[in-house]
Amino acid sequence: MTAPVEPAGPVAAPARPAAGGAAARAEPWVLRRLVWGLPGWITLLAYLFLLAPIVVLVVFSFNAARSTVVFTEFTLDWYARVFSNRNLGRALRVSLIVAAASAAIATAVGALAAVAISRRRFRGRSLIATALAAPLVLPEIVLGVGLLVFMSFAGFRLGYGTMIMGHVLVSLPFAVLIVRAAAAALDARIEDAAADLGANEWQTFRLVTLPQLAPSILTAFLLSATLSFDNLVMSTFTTGVGTTTLPLRIYSMLKLGITPEINALGTLMVVANIGIVLLVMGRYLPALLAQPRR
Amino acid sequence: MTRTLALAVLLGATALSPAAAAQLNIFGWADEMPDEVLADFEAETGITVTFDTFDSNESMIARLEAGASGYDLVNPSQYAVQILAGRGLIQELDHSRIETIGNIAEAFRNVSYDPGNVHSIPYVWGTTGLAYNRSCVTEPVSSWTALWDERYRGRIYMLDNMLAAYIAGLQVNGFNANSSDPEEIAKATETLIAQKPLLAGYNATNFADLVSSGEACLVQSWSGSVLQAIETNPDVVYVLPEEGGTMWIDGYSLLTGAQNVDEAYAFLSYILRPEVAAKTTELTKVATVVLEARDLLPESIARNSAIYPSDEVLANADFILDVGEAMKFYQDGWTRVKSAQ
Amino acid sequence: MRRERREGLVTALMLAPSVVVLGVFVLMPLCVVFAYSFALRDAYGGVVPGFTLDNYRALFEGLYVQVFLNSFRLAALTTLLCLLVGYPVAYFIAFRAGRWGPALLVLMLVPFWINFLIRISAWVVLLGRNGLINAALVGTGLAGQPVGMLGTQGATLAGMVYAFLPLAVFPIYAALQPLDRRLIEAGADLGANPAQAFGRITLPLSLPGVLAAALFVFVPSMGVFAIPVLLGGGKSIILGNLIVQLFLEFRVIPVGAAVSVVMLVLAAIGIALYMRALARIEAWR
Repeated sequence: MTAPVEPAGPVAAPARPAAGGAAARAEPWVLRRLVWGLPGWITLLAYLFLLAPIVVLVVFSFNAARSTVVFTEFTLDWYARVFSNRNLGRALRVSLIVAAASAAIATAVGALAAVAISRRRFRGRSLIATALAAPLVLPEIVLGVGLLVFMSFAGFRLGYGTMIMGHVLVSLPFAVLIVRAAAAALDARIEDAAADLGANEWQTFRLVTLPQLAPSILTAFLLSATLSFDNLVMSTFTTGVGTTTLPLRIYSMLKLGITPEINALGTLMVVANIGIVLLVMGRYLPALLAQPRR
Repeated sequence: MTRTLALAVLLGATALSPAAAAQLNIFGWADEMPDEVLADFEAETGITVTFDTFDSNESMIARLEAGASGYDLVNPSQYAVQILAGRGLIQELDHSRIETIGNIAEAFRNVSYDPGNVHSIPYVWGTTGLAYNRSCVTEPVSSWTALWDERYRGRIYMLDNMLAAYIAGLQVNGFNANSSDPEEIAKATETLIAQKPLLAGYNATNFADLVSSGEACLVQSWSGSVLQAIETNPDVVYVLPEEGGTMWIDGYSLLTGAQNVDEAYAFLSYILRPEVAAKTTELTKVATVVLEARDLLPESIARNSAIYPSDEVLANADFILDVGEAMKFYQDGWTRVKSAQ
Repeated sequence: MRRERREGLVTALMLAPSVVVLGVFVLMPLCVVFAYSFALRDAYGGVVPGFTLDNYRALFEGLYVQVFLNSFRLAALTTLLCLLVGYPVAYFIAFRAGRWGPALLVLMLVPFWINFLIRISAWVVLLGRNGLINAALVGTGLAGQPVGMLGTQGATLAGMVYAFLPLAVFPIYAALQPLDRRLIEAGADLGANPAQAFGRITLPLSLPGVLAAALFVFVPSMGVFAIPVLLGGGKSIILGNLIVQLFLEFRVIPVGAAVSVVMLVLAAIGIALYMRALARIEAWR
């Protein structure tokens, strides 16, 4: 995990006075306010929608009964069971390794290609752009089956290598499209200006293009790691001996029903997640908040 | 960041490097082999066990068919043994190397799918029937026809598994669940399509929860899965219907090209010990084929008719074997059932 | 001349990793799938090399047409809802959330770090007869008795939007975030009201992101299989279910490969439309 590098704050700030200033006097205040606030309200509802199931999950992880529908009595037994389950610990380690490795590869490979596609002129540009989006449109399960057959044919032993490669395929198109969308919105004149001022290509890329793309690259990395951590289908086909990821393990646990043990595991994931976020944000937030407006 | 990544890669590398100690790689059903038994085996023998799981015979076969899996033992159900043997994916067992093979009950020594246990050692078994919640279904249920009862419209679930669903579809028409007659299968398909408007859905994961909570009144069910619900909710009843239901057996087979053959035989010899088999049944609530294990179990399990049905009930149950070419009729029919509006 | 060659070399180096990945791990497996779609099948479900069109013929026998229709309808509805909700959310995070933008983005990923199956099973709890939603409906007198919501199309749709919303928000955000605020301010200075500024400046500039979002949501949502099963009761199967069924349950790999090839062609049409639209937008600027 890395922290968001570019704060949205200082740049977003000027939008506020512009929107609330001159125009507000010309229109009915209430309607103005309502329309202006609409994205905020929708965001609030969307986050409620996204997070409400997690609240339910946390609550039912303390349910004494095996059922996840009727709450009977408070207990911590399910947590004890999660911690005594040796398979879950192993699966978590596998998942973390695969997520980190596949996201790093997918983001690096994808960002390079995305910048080349949107900032450089070359023959076959649209062909490559289309090809890079292709894994998106191929059902993951088909890619998985094809990959499995191909890997065995080529004599690769199934394991970390095949699994990481499979996950790279899943995240690569996302990484490319995200960075490409950002690169397409960049102002080419800034790069031209840098070149005119004597910067060589590498300097221009490192000092001008890359910093501007940093938020989108970070977005791509986070999304790639997330997709990998959550991946079930591709993992089903590319896993080998001892590379059972967390989703694969959970899927096999679900066979005997949705138990609070699974909810307890979910709750632990939320806690770990918030911990990571606080750790990362905690390092950067004070700096962000203390930053003077540019 | 880079350091964390390097550390992660390092961890991965250590996990990849082959351990010097003896090891055994098993591909088995989720929740039919308790971790405790595996840990005991590791402690006794010093062999490190990697136990990876699958959720259906079909996905397991798909993985193994691709080859280069690296597993030593696999845990197929009866018809899957036939398919794996037919495709040459599993090898013949050397019975002289399984010290405890004599512990297998007489009834499981000459199973029809693998006479003489040539390709597989049976280990656990159970049934396919139906479960209902007495708070919702007030009169006792003894027949598949309850799953077609208009009164429970919108509160019925069928197993989301082709062969399982056809057990009910065929038997309710008076046919054998292992039919390979195209006309019988077609009739069963019509019956299943007619049932669809009454269903809340098809479910092969949390059906035990659904019937236990009262979300569903009736569910078609595998015996193993629903026993936990029975334990916590006395209102849930599991029955093997009068039309027969089916019995299933999951066993262990040695994969062609297995690397750790000695360890595999050590494992098979270990799990067939009566006390080990009893521990397996006690923890998973699934019956084992080891006869003496039953004597070591608490009354609540040994006398539980959902875990150990009576012999006459079992004699009435059908047994699903590989139907070969007739599978296509099932598959086309099931696709029609699932896509019907 | 030398400079041109160097340019070409740099471009090639930037593209080389992705070309290798695509060639070896996508193109070759795809060829395998394509070859399999014309292959035969033995009694045990193994693939037998050969050439037959029967696998494709099977697709047009009417058995699968309903599945294609189901998939298209579900994917279209999911995409529409995700864009309608996702755009305002991305807009808020990019322009209004200020310093909390990154925090909101990370928060949106929080549900993703819990296994997908666990999240969907939480919805099973929420929508159940004894779930919170029914408790609220009965408690407020809106419903006399609990409503059966599991196993309905609505439940499937809710689960789909839940699963895909972040995939719509991220690309829209990524397109909005780098927008030059001075452009919007300039519009306001020139007398454009906020609605005009949005319609004439912000929206057109963020269209690539919107298109990417539509693509991200539409295509994978045709291939989903767990949501229709767990929330929709598995009663209305879509392409994802069909492919899982053909590959993993029936192991009729040749027909599964044929369905995949058809789906690939359909999706290729979609992506071609997207690329054309994107190129048009880039040219129009």
